[in-house]
Amino acid sequence: MRISRYFLYIAILIILLTLPFYTGVYFLNVMDIILIYIALALSWDMLLRSGQISFGVAGLFGVGGYAAVLLNLNTGMNPLISIVMGGLAAGILAWLVGMAVLQLRGMYFAIVTLALAEIFRVIIRNLPDLTGGPEGTVLPSAIFAGNSTKTYWLAIAVAVVSVIASELFRRTRIHFALTSIRNDEIVAKSSGIDVFKYLVFIFVITSAIQGMTGGAYAHIYGFVSPEGSFSVDFTLLPIAMALLGGMHSTWGPVVGAVVLGVVSEFLKLQIPYGHLLVYGLIIVITILFFPQGILGTVGQRLKNRQRLRGSP
Amino acid sequence: MIVLKTENVTRYFGGLMALNGVNIEFRENEILGIIGPNGAGKTTFINVVAGIYLPTEGKIFFNGQDISELPAHKRCRLGIGRTFQLVRPLPGLSLLENIMVGSLFGKGLGQREARKQAEELCEFLGLSEITRDITRMTALEIKKMEIAHAMATQPKLLFLDEVMAGLNSDETTQMIDLVRKICSRGITIGIVEHVMRVIRELTDRVVVLDWGEIIAEGPYGEVSNDPKVVAAYLGEEN
Repeated sequence: MRISRYFLYIAILIILLTLPFYTGVYFLNVMDIILIYIALALSWDMLLRSGQISFGVAGLFGVGGYAAVLLNLNTGMNPLISIVMGGLAAGILAWLVGMAVLQLRGMYFAIVTLALAEIFRVIIRNLPDLTGGPEGTVLPSAIFAGNSTKTYWLAIAVAVVSVIASELFRRTRIHFALTSIRNDEIVAKSSGIDVFKYLVFIFVITSAIQGMTGGAYAHIYGFVSPEGSFSVDFTLLPIAMALLGGMHSTWGPVVGAVVLGVVSEFLKLQIPYGHLLVYGLIIVITILFFPQGILGTVGQRLKNRQRLRGSP
Repeated sequence: MIVLKTENVTRYFGGLMALNGVNIEFRENEILGIIGPNGAGKTTFINVVAGIYLPTEGKIFFNGQDISELPAHKRCRLGIGRTFQLVRPLPGLSLLENIMVGSLFGKGLGQREARKQAEELCEFLGLSEITRDITRMTALEIKKMEIAHAMATQPKLLFLDEVMAGLNSDETTQMIDLVRKICSRGITIGIVEHVMRVIRELTDRVVVLDWGEIIAEGPYGEVSNDPKVVAAYLGEEN
């Protein structure tokens, strides 16, 4: 069972990796976006597993993007390494911020993260010498000279890193710690869990993933700008995707990102600028009628059926 | 030998004094009952000893070490375990995994050893079907799971906070035997309970709290006839 499952993963990965050989540039561009959103939705969900809601994904995404682009431009650093450094920068920033604000919980923490994203944007906007100010910074050339196959593989790498991180978090003691903390912090503390340490750790890791993703995104498109890189889309869409697909899992956010990514691409063609309206509707319907998301609801149905049949 | 000693422990919540100069000693391998009317400070006492609250004044010594300022998770690792009045199993984890949390973090075991220990504890406590859905357990099973969770941290001192609440007479008898078995493993037990039969049958000594102060201390037989205790529970006669 387990071996066949790994075969399935490898088969899917091979199909994904070979897509450029039998599809077109447009398709790959759509896939890039979906893969980027998979990483963001997953990292947002990973923090949610500790019970903390972040509205600051766009902030760390933007910081990572700026760090990657500026390092590459000013120091001539290899763009791939600069993407990793973008993740590192976001991680360090999250550590500094987390040490200060992770005493807060729930809505208070969420609001602080929302403010942070805005603060990063304002700071970057007002440092024109370093960041290019409101106009942003354009790279002389996108990564891999804009080769759509290679940029697509880069996007796959980013998504795979976050899937692996998510699965590691689900299979190790981290899973037990985060579930305990989410459920009841007092019980968690009384079981010997260093709650603060785990919250800082998960915040740093998820922020680093968001920063790395931002770095990849910036290099794929070859520019960063305060409005583009810190767009509220990068906060709201990952949340919508994780909710739609199913929270607290690896495959829920992935499914959500694929479904919403495809839907939004279709809607953009049908009703330009109206697609956000449909997004909002999808989120409301999900929360009202399928609070466990697509995967959670399907899983529950299957379980109920088994129960009706009387099997264990 | 004294396992835990509190010296003049006082705890305020704003203007409310929940504990007032409480001195309690836990002797090795005894079962100490902590009783008192609702709001007497019993659970607050456990919370202060377990590190959920720090004492406003006073000191707490565990095996001679001053732990007054230590955070809860470090006290757990030192060997202070506890159950909770309102049991909240962790959703998304099986019964066994719920118990494993204690060994994983309280004792720093790896997942494999933690699983093994959790299985042993289930057997010890008479919990079967250990992979079952935690949302469909009986009151007794939930209480046992809670005890297993606390025992998985391998405590030297274990607080049981109203573990008999909601159990019927047979189940209570079963639980009393179980607590004895736990004690015979060399664990010192502090038990908070409203069911007097439990206190009578189990405890070596009893401490009675009222309004955050100790009003009586001694074997159950003596304490239960103390006029101050009777007054605290039943109200004073005019």
